[in-house]
Amino acid sequence: MAALPRRIIKETQRLLQEPVPGISAVPDDANARYFHVIVTGPEDSPFEGGLFKLELFLPEDYPMSAPKVRFITKIYHPNIDRLGRICLDILKDKWSPALQIRTVLLSIQALLSAPNPDDPLANDVAELWKVNEVEAIRNAKEWTRRYAMDN
Amino acid sequence: MGTCLCRCKRERRNPVPQNANRRLQRRARNSHLAVEEVQECYLPAAGAPWWKSMSSKAVDILVLDTLKIIGSLMENEQEPPEVLMKLHNIADQEEGWLQVVQSMVNVIPIDEPLGPAVITLLLDDCPLPNKEAVLKLSRIFNLSHQSAVVKSQRSIRQQRNICIILGVLAEKLSGPSSVAILTPGTLAYLVANLEENSDATVTLFSLVALEKFAQTSENKATIMRALLAVAGGNPLLRLEKLIDSKDLIESQVGFCAQWCLDNLFITEGRKYSYEKVDMSNINAMLNISDVSEYLKISPDGLEARCDAHSFESVRCTFQVDSGVWYYETTILSSGVMQIGWATRNSRFLNHEGHGIGDDEFSLAFDGCRQFIWYNASNHSQSKVRWKPGDTLGSIIDLNKPMIYFYLNGEQVASSDLVFQEARSGFFAAASFMSFQQCRFNFGSEPFKYPPPGLFFGHTINSFNDHGSLSAEKRIVLPRHLQLESLRQMSVKEDSCTICFDDRANRALRPCGHKGFCERCSYMLNECPICRAAIECIVEEDPETPDT
Repeated sequence: MAALPRRIIKETQRLLQEPVPGISAVPDDANARYFHVIVTGPEDSPFEGGLFKLELFLPEDYPMSAPKVRFITKIYHPNIDRLGRICLDILKDKWSPALQIRTVLLSIQALLSAPNPDDPLANDVAELWKVNEVEAIRNAKEWTRRYAMDN
Repeated sequence: MGTCLCRCKRERRNPVPQNANRRLQRRARNSHLAVEEVQECYLPAAGAPWWKSMSSKAVDILVLDTLKIIGSLMENEQEPPEVLMKLHNIADQEEGWLQVVQSMVNVIPIDEPLGPAVITLLLDDCPLPNKEAVLKLSRIFNLSHQSAVVKSQRSIRQQRNICIILGVLAEKLSGPSSVAILTPGTLAYLVANLEENSDATVTLFSLVALEKFAQTSENKATIMRALLAVAGGNPLLRLEKLIDSKDLIESQVGFCAQWCLDNLFITEGRKYSYEKVDMSNINAMLNISDVSEYLKISPDGLEARCDAHSFESVRCTFQVDSGVWYYETTILSSGVMQIGWATRNSRFLNHEGHGIGDDEFSLAFDGCRQFIWYNASNHSQSKVRWKPGDTLGSIIDLNKPMIYFYLNGEQVASSDLVFQEARSGFFAAASFMSFQQCRFNFGSEPFKYPPPGLFFGHTINSFNDHGSLSAEKRIVLPRHLQLESLRQMSVKEDSCTICFDDRANRALRPCGHKGFCERCSYMLNECPICRAAIECIVEEDPETPDT
């Protein structure tokens, strides 16, 4: 294994010592750059009651480039596609090395509370979200029940 | 206020070509972007999923077609092939996913070097199955101790493919789903494959699958109990002795068993391999602090293996700046490895599928696809494909300058492309796709195909004759011990807020934000706090109040 930057060690220590409410992020036993993440669906969102698994990976040039994050649990959301990829500006061109794993995960949790169908990654979902929000939310709740509650 | 270090003096180069090839994985990964379009093309008007009318035979053919084209998926601008998109689309539904997996079990041939790569690639790219789908798959496989012992039940090929699939799923679904797939039957099957009289290939991939299941700690404990309960003792202790076997599959089994015993299934009373290995004659080895995270390195630092689905890379400890140098590699598996030379600037982007030969600071030979790789494009095709047991030799001649590759003593390719960017600072280096392994000889043992004493009038050198290693550098510490020592590191108060490594003694102008070290401040494109443009960077003592 390549030498692990202090930045990652420090962030990991803090994540374990002062966890963010509703989010757990645990480094892999074999790879300190890979985190197993669980985000709880925010209250008053269609994802409430669900436990969503994500994987987070810190690339070689982290923190100069953004962590790579992906939903593993299927989720019905206009900014998350069927492969779990997330459309979020801070994971792309708005990344800043002052951001951290913790802030990234908080942003993802916020994205669950406030889906943004005008900046879609999952086109069919975003379309429905715009034309028939009630049905879209029903689908999101159904997917939450089906995929995010069975464990 | 300190000196103003003007920004324009330090043009930062971006060494990663945005459009470059990202190995097979990346090519395929791009392909799902077009899934919607494909769906439209193939969806019958009635709305029933088009693949439901496909026979399992038709899916078998799609899998075989993928295998056929996968070696040629390397041209940068090429559209993702239709077969891959079709398979992705089929696998998007549970029933279709189960069909694709079963087709892979049945049709991927054992002697096709890219076979295992196709399995990992397809599973990696398709949406992950949920727990129910995975449990259905376990029922379809219906594995037990019996399925390992009754040889006629399944062919070696099917068994190997099942083990690869189990391993990939265990890795991808680590956590409760991984626990759910490791049913008592599956566990009994995998452990029975470790016993004597099992086919070595099936043993190898069972071992790899168990290793991946053990990434979930609950499984790890279960597997450990099962190993200890085997009559005749923990089978890994017998398997690790195969490391010196003349049979190359058996020696890979030995390597994996030893790695598991050192890193995962720690057994009481067994000394770690690094404590037993004789390093007295070794003055150059694979650099344990210059390797991507999933590559496995042998205790003597001369053998490497990848079982992850990423493209893992490593450099040697010894740097060459002038003269003529030679090293050899024994090829132990027949798949994609890119073996050659790289400077420090070459980056290991394992998850993007970038390795040695994929940027302008490295050049490598790949005897599976029979090409030299430079800057992620292929050059200088060779006529022969490597096979397990072959010896790849490489000379770097920094006088000329030129790099040459030899397979079993015969020159197969040469290139000077990498010298456009660098004329010195080279290291022997290599990248590995899943399940690939090779052994390096940097001169600590006699070369199998020694080059002539003089090469265009210059002496040929080996790293081992000129290198030296500190006591600390020579130790290939098991991962858990290495992580343990890293975590105990502490951080100073005035350290840089970005890397935590160096002192924070730089501030940005005009915004005035500070808390960065020299190295990090030069890597910034804008202020990380307020995104303001940076006009200049000033040196400033962390204690000095901002002016």
